[in-house]
Amino acid sequence: MQTRQLLLRVEGIVKAFPGLMALDGVSLDVRSGEVVAVVGHNGSGKSTLVKVLAGIYQQDAGTVALETMAGQTAELHFIHQDLGLVPALSAVENLNLVQASSGALAPLRTKGETRRARSLLSRFGQQFDVHAKVSELTPAQRAIVAIARALEGWAGPHNVLVLDEPTEALHKNEVDILFSAVRSVAGDGAGVIFISHRLDEVLDLADRVVVLRDGVKVADERAQDLDHGRLVELVTGSALSEQREHVRRERGADAVLRIRGLRGAVVDGLDLDLRPGETVGVAGVLGSGREEVPSLVFGADGGTSAEYLLHGRPYERRSAAASIRNGLAFVAGDRARFGSVPQLNARENITLPRLGAHRSRMGAISIRRERAEAARLAAVFDVKPARTEQRFGLFSGGNQQKIVMAKWLRNTPSVLLLEEPTQGVDIGAKAAIYAAVDGASAAGAAVLVCSSDAKELVRLCDRVLVLREGRVAAELSGDELTERRLVLEGYGLVDEQAVPHPSI
Amino acid sequence: MTTTRDPETTPDRHPIGDPGAPGPATASRGAVVARLLSFRNISAIYIFIAIFVVFAIWTPQTFLTAGVWRTLLDAQSVTALAAIAALIPLVTGSFNLAVGAEVAFAGILTAWLLARADLPVTVSVPLALLAGALIGLVSGLLITKVKIDSFIATLGMSSILLAGVAWVSGSQQILDLGQGLNELATTSLLGVTLPVYILFAVAIVSWYVLERTPVGRRMYATGFNPDGARLAGVNIARMQIGSLVAGGVVAALAGVLLTSRINTGDPTVGPSLLLPALTAVFLGSTQFRGGRFNVWGTVLAVYVLAAGIKGLQLVGAPSWINALFNGVALLLAVGLSRWERTGRRAGAIRRVTSRRAAAVGRAGR
Repeated sequence: MQTRQLLLRVEGIVKAFPGLMALDGVSLDVRSGEVVAVVGHNGSGKSTLVKVLAGIYQQDAGTVALETMAGQTAELHFIHQDLGLVPALSAVENLNLVQASSGALAPLRTKGETRRARSLLSRFGQQFDVHAKVSELTPAQRAIVAIARALEGWAGPHNVLVLDEPTEALHKNEVDILFSAVRSVAGDGAGVIFISHRLDEVLDLADRVVVLRDGVKVADERAQDLDHGRLVELVTGSALSEQREHVRRERGADAVLRIRGLRGAVVDGLDLDLRPGETVGVAGVLGSGREEVPSLVFGADGGTSAEYLLHGRPYERRSAAASIRNGLAFVAGDRARFGSVPQLNARENITLPRLGAHRSRMGAISIRRERAEAARLAAVFDVKPARTEQRFGLFSGGNQQKIVMAKWLRNTPSVLLLEEPTQGVDIGAKAAIYAAVDGASAAGAAVLVCSSDAKELVRLCDRVLVLREGRVAAELSGDELTERRLVLEGYGLVDEQAVPHPSI
Repeated sequence: MTTTRDPETTPDRHPIGDPGAPGPATASRGAVVARLLSFRNISAIYIFIAIFVVFAIWTPQTFLTAGVWRTLLDAQSVTALAAIAALIPLVTGSFNLAVGAEVAFAGILTAWLLARADLPVTVSVPLALLAGALIGLVSGLLITKVKIDSFIATLGMSSILLAGVAWVSGSQQILDLGQGLNELATTSLLGVTLPVYILFAVAIVSWYVLERTPVGRRMYATGFNPDGARLAGVNIARMQIGSLVAGGVVAALAGVLLTSRINTGDPTVGPSLLLPALTAVFLGSTQFRGGRFNVWGTVLAVYVLAAGIKGLQLVGAPSWINALFNGVALLLAVGLSRWERTGRRAGAIRRVTSRRAAAVGRAGR
């Protein structure tokens, strides 16, 4: 393997965003015939790396160099998570978009194209109707069409194919189909970069695994030298420090919120009890139903439950407005779309859920009092700059989230529902948001945190429910609540790892 | 409609990458005044002054007479009301392409009730306003409950209403309305006719509700981001339906005044108000409120456009100059605010990136 020809050399890539070092001197080599997996958690810098390679971002420092092999300079080809196919067109038509077999207005050579499409696709050992709409194919077949399209028009086999989280939507057996397609591409002499956060699958596929954490390359090892336990440690960086910062608090005995049999699109019969002052986490891989839970509890997106008791009384969730009146608060994960009105200013966003507070004579809002309250909250939640008349959309991600926290905690909710509370947020703002969550909890709110960040759950929560395929696979609390256990339970890897990895 | 909340058309008052710009907390009075008087904030007023000066020099004997201005003020009050009727739903993100047809329908209905049903003015006018409210309600239900896009729903409503207008009127003018209704338009106070007072009363109420009350805040939130507004507890369907009902009543009022001014039920006048009304709303959104649709910007836009057209007519320009002037003014105003914005943003990004590159370069050493 070491003797193989180098195709891509990435050296010392640095990419910074305001308050965040997304990539800090990352280097990476890809050789002909090699599959290199790049793994890491959300925010580890994986997607920034792809965007730098694709030229979407300009790196602040470092170089990306493509080598020449057998008289051909390697090219970079990308398959992004959404595959970039046109769903309403057939496989043949999608393949043809890149390189039409005839002139722009000349009639299409249907027969020849069909033959060519079949021969391209047959390399991957999959038989399916090349004239069916892509939207009617299985996800794996779609991925293969995307790969075939990426291979279209390669001058030679020695190129680099970058697959960005291509297995997100695939079932296990479909993943196998995709993997054999990827291996066949590599077998022909291409180099493959495979971006994933699914630690369970990369060891099956990759020759080499590169682990990113907080923008730094922490490992670059041959896959055969790694096992799942070691990989989890590398990704979470938690082997050495399993110390929990979370402070336990006295909490009320009676649940403020009691739900039985909560059901949504994925969530399948979840039972939930939240006590005042208690912080409960929801973990799980993407697609486990984790991300659905807070909005289901809030009542924003339908969903049903066998029993829903709020303060011991049945509550039927009819609208967001009713839930807010009943003391629920929901910090949505997608800030720009669900968590705010970006075109309004910070003050207007903060007061929107409860505008009655500053009502003066004749039903008007007292702007003076509203400004005073917004300014006070901006100071409490450390919003920078503390310009409450600035449009929400112009604040940085972290400060937007602080404004969102201010907006909800202003209502002193009895139940605080958080979805990815620190997504796209820099370290400093993270601390402020954790402080806000702790503050709400100390004030007696019951807090529910759904997060893909295991470290965050360990930091914030008293106990964590780990979901797998819509059901609770494990509940962790006390000493069991570690990043390592969360990740292993999320992937269902615990049984394979009967002997726990020796901790140092 | 997404068009109505396109952030690109919305000039922001505090650009990114301009940390030196004073915020309201720290801004000196001078900076605030300078911002308020800046060209981009009140360009229509400067344009108005320019128009005034040009035509005052060009044709002083006609342009500078009080009669011209009185007529202008009076004649445009209907257009301005139609513009407010289009504005209110747009704030909540709903296009109302039926504004012109609503005006026409209410106008014809009033005439029909007076001339054919022999009802007194005190009954006919409220009935016409009620009809406007019902039309708005139907549009609102089509948009929120049947989930038809507002553009399509109001286009369909517009066509249906025009059919209704033709049916009620038999495509003929309705004459013999008696004197009662005409008094509404001809009564004048301090040299200004009643429709102008009605316009300003409607404008003040609309401004107050939109800018000063919780309802108005929720309407803007609905228009900017319905999902975000809903999750913040705003009943967005109620906001949209309410705005279309309110817009329907204002459009009906415009229709009543239209019929009252010409003392005839004319089936052809109302529909032609749609384009000038929408033009004024979009032009007005570039004024005063940093890109938000707003009442005073809209009213100002109606009169600035009308003054320009009046001046051109007085110097003998052909009648098609109206439409040309409206179109050019709209494209120029929106185009300029967008161009200025992208230019400023590009500058801000350049400054930020060069600073960061320098910082990274230092860190790398």
